[in-house]
Amino acid sequence: MFRVFVLALTGLPALLRAETIEALSPRATYLLNCGGCHGVNGASNSRLVPDLKDQVGFFLNLPEGRSYVVRLPNVAFSMTTDEALTGLMNYVVFTLGGANVPKGAKPYTVREVSQLRRMPLTEVSLVQTRRQMVQVLIDQYHATTDLRLYGEGDYGTSQ
Amino acid sequence: MTSPFDKMSERLTRNLARFSSRRGFLSKISVVLLTAPAFPLLPVARSAKAAEPKSAGSKTDFELNSQTNDDTKCNYWKYCGSDGVLCSCCGGGHHTCPPGAEPSPISWIGTCVNPEDGKSFVIAYRDCCGKPMCGAGKSCWCDNSDRELPTYRSSLNNDIIWCFGNSSATYHCSTAALVGEAK
Repeated sequence: MFRVFVLALTGLPALLRAETIEALSPRATYLLNCGGCHGVNGASNSRLVPDLKDQVGFFLNLPEGRSYVVRLPNVAFSMTTDEALTGLMNYVVFTLGGANVPKGAKPYTVREVSQLRRMPLTEVSLVQTRRQMVQVLIDQYHATTDLRLYGEGDYGTSQ
Repeated sequence: MTSPFDKMSERLTRNLARFSSRRGFLSKISVVLLTAPAFPLLPVARSAKAAEPKSAGSKTDFELNSQTNDDTKCNYWKYCGSDGVLCSCCGGGHHTCPPGAEPSPISWIGTCVNPEDGKSFVIAYRDCCGKPMCGAGKSCWCDNSDRELPTYRSSLNNDIIWCFGNSSATYHCSTAALVGEAK
């Protein structure tokens, strides 16, 4: 019996190690979950898919903007763990959003992202919600008017 | 006078005391407690495990036959999720469109394993658009599906024509551009 007991003790750490998941970097997580439509560097067809590059950081000027970018259905329902999504959001906002993030903005925490993604924006007009927020960002926070490109024209043709 | 119940319980207690030791019980329960996490029984734990990236030992059918030399063949390693006619058979390359066709800025993205180093890479499956469908031979028509999901997860599906971000939605051929390492 003692031998079995020792075996269980020594074998267990190996079993647990084998089950550890190797987490992807935030950049790779972005590419696999967002990069197809938003572009590998945060911009694709600006009229059809909102640019992230040099634009997404502006949303952190508003508390509702900070939560909006996580509560967007494709973000909230993405096939990521809370930890991976937190790394992904910080990559998108602080790396792709770059200089447009307001000074002093804090990175997202796992706790914050985990709470926000449980309140997905499924019962509102996303187009209207974004339009109103963009108006405030341009009027009061000197955000770029390029934020208005998304949704312009018919079906976002690139020409 | 003792009742039959008293006798029975006395016999039980005495037998219990004779054939079991406290230390024996403790070591048995310890073994159970320590080894239980290694054997997930509930379906929740099993499905969580199934969602993990596969280990090096388990290869897809595509990965068992992939090669790195000829990008005009469906088993070229970057085509592990390609569905369509290869641009490399139509005057383009595995990451460039043939002259006159326009790459889609929007695509689906997956990963393929390079058989030479066993590493996983991020691949953007960009369609080339704006010209009638390329008329290449049958060997250039691929239907691979590594990491692809059904149409209800359309952002990771390869049956859709990924030309809706272009000025013309006419499908010409398919490319598979390497956009990074999956790590």
